[in-house]
Amino acid sequence: MDFYLGLVQIIGVHTLLGLSAYCVLLTGQVSLAQAGFFAVGAYVAGMLTVLAQWPLIPALAVAAVVSGAVACAVGFPALRVKGLMLVVATVAFGEAVRLFFFNFTYQIQAGVLHLGPHGAEGFRQIRYFPEHGWSTLDVVLFIWVVVALVMAGLWWLDHSRVGAVLRAVGEDELAAQSVGINITAVKVSAMTVGGFIAGIGGGIFAHYTTHIEHAQFGVVLATFAIAYPILGGLSNVFGTLLAAVFIQGFLIEGLRFMGDWRNLLFGGLIVLAMNVRPRGLLDAGTTRALKRLFAAGKERSGA
Amino acid sequence: MDLLDLIDAVQSVADGVLFGATYSLLGIGFTLIFGVMHKINLSYAAASIGAAYASLLVMSVVQAPAVLAFVAAAAAGGVIGGLVYLVGFRFIPLANPLATLMSTVGLLLLIDEIIVHATAGVPLNYPALFSDVIVQVGPFGLRGDLMFVFALGCVCMVVLLLLLYRTRLGLATRAVSQQPTASLLCGISTTRVNVLTFVITGIVGGIAGAMTGAAIGMLSPLLSLPLTVKGLIVTVIGGLGSIPGAIIAGLIVGGLENAFQFFRGVSERDLYIMLLLFAFLVFRPGGIFARSAGRD
Repeated sequence: MDFYLGLVQIIGVHTLLGLSAYCVLLTGQVSLAQAGFFAVGAYVAGMLTVLAQWPLIPALAVAAVVSGAVACAVGFPALRVKGLMLVVATVAFGEAVRLFFFNFTYQIQAGVLHLGPHGAEGFRQIRYFPEHGWSTLDVVLFIWVVVALVMAGLWWLDHSRVGAVLRAVGEDELAAQSVGINITAVKVSAMTVGGFIAGIGGGIFAHYTTHIEHAQFGVVLATFAIAYPILGGLSNVFGTLLAAVFIQGFLIEGLRFMGDWRNLLFGGLIVLAMNVRPRGLLDAGTTRALKRLFAAGKERSGA
Repeated sequence: MDLLDLIDAVQSVADGVLFGATYSLLGIGFTLIFGVMHKINLSYAAASIGAAYASLLVMSVVQAPAVLAFVAAAAAGGVIGGLVYLVGFRFIPLANPLATLMSTVGLLLLIDEIIVHATAGVPLNYPALFSDVIVQVGPFGLRGDLMFVFALGCVCMVVLLLLLYRTRLGLATRAVSQQPTASLLCGISTTRVNVLTFVITGIVGGIAGAMTGAAIGMLSPLLSLPLTVKGLIVTVIGGLGSIPGAIIAGLIVGGLENAFQFFRGVSERDLYIMLLLFAFLVFRPGGIFARSAGRD
């Protein structure tokens, strides 16, 4: 049972990571920096609860704000360029963050233990959940409440004027600019919101794994972050959730019985999925079809 | 710093510049594919390492001199390049840049995993040429294997430049990269040019993979991600679409990498390369040889 609860935790945190990339992708920018923001959130939240003995929620809030601020600061120089250049700039930023934590040591003595990040060894003993008597189920519920809140927020954003502006910039920058949208402001805001969400995700990640180290936040995690929304489709937030369940639940855990071959199938299935459904699993057409299906069901039950 | 340290520093920078030829070739590959298709092929460096592995397979079957490894790697690179195009680009609508980006990520993971699966993740030794030769220039010694790698890289670059600027195929490639619709109207088959670009960059990548193997002395699937990042950085520092830029940037990155490693240690080395990239993005987004409108 604990295995499945653990899996549900992972899916939740990865959904947050995917949603952070979703915001940025809506404006048509491919950012591989999300793993970097995730790392900043993880280290900040971990240091606040372990070293400063803060409660979890304020620590997560501060982690989110710090990640958002970093994203905003990175957004200005990085968003001067686009396309391949932006991909490279954000990869470089993500790697720079990882290498920073690789070289980052700040420890305090607590009894016999040394607490805090320790360079390549990573940051051990983030034991907030066990120390405060949270059961695995509590953690799962907490994570999914946060995921639901973030998804609801993004859903609302998507259906407001802001969502229309974000998508306008994503579809055609020139057209958006010519109707008076400040595209730099829109892109940097999207990046900031993305950093904020990644910070929350990273903070939660640090607490349920209890041990974080630089290697967890590499290019691979960054590609996973953009893989969820791209594979799921950008038409709405549920695509990202679906893709997180598909990748973490099916491709990674569900295929475990295949042993070695699982990893081979993983890359192959992503390639296949993009060939078959280039606009994502849950694209606009599918969403419309589902809506019609539900509407038809309602009519029938009403009649 | 006394004289001995200075000599060591210059020596390590020289080694880095020689090894930088590998980065140059990878940078050229990324630049060419981007130039022709306006797409990023993230699986390129992994395919290059894959080609080097394939050449090891050939070498294990056939008893042949070490030179053949490079030929085999080039051939395998060409084949893999064609396959990458077929699987990752051919059937995906080109108007959707995210789909091809993701499919190449999938291919990167797939190629890496095929390598891990075939070798059980154990690094394999790669044959080096002239590894016993050391040319003494004053207090400095230039390693024969690195010099061979550098010379091979230079030959590749010259051949590639001749191909692009002296043949009909090169003319077609450049036409497609400038104006795809206009070149289609002139009777150039864009699909054919795209396939050939992938095969040619694949060959270059295969040679780069073999050069990496020969210079380091071994091959490991762990090489593909760092090489992807370095190749992309070289592409940006050199300026997108600029082949001379990629060549110079590769050598600069190779040299600086060793300089930073010498002065600051291996764990901080890449951090400074990333900062260098950021400096370029902020102050010279068009790369070293920026033209007036050199962004994207």
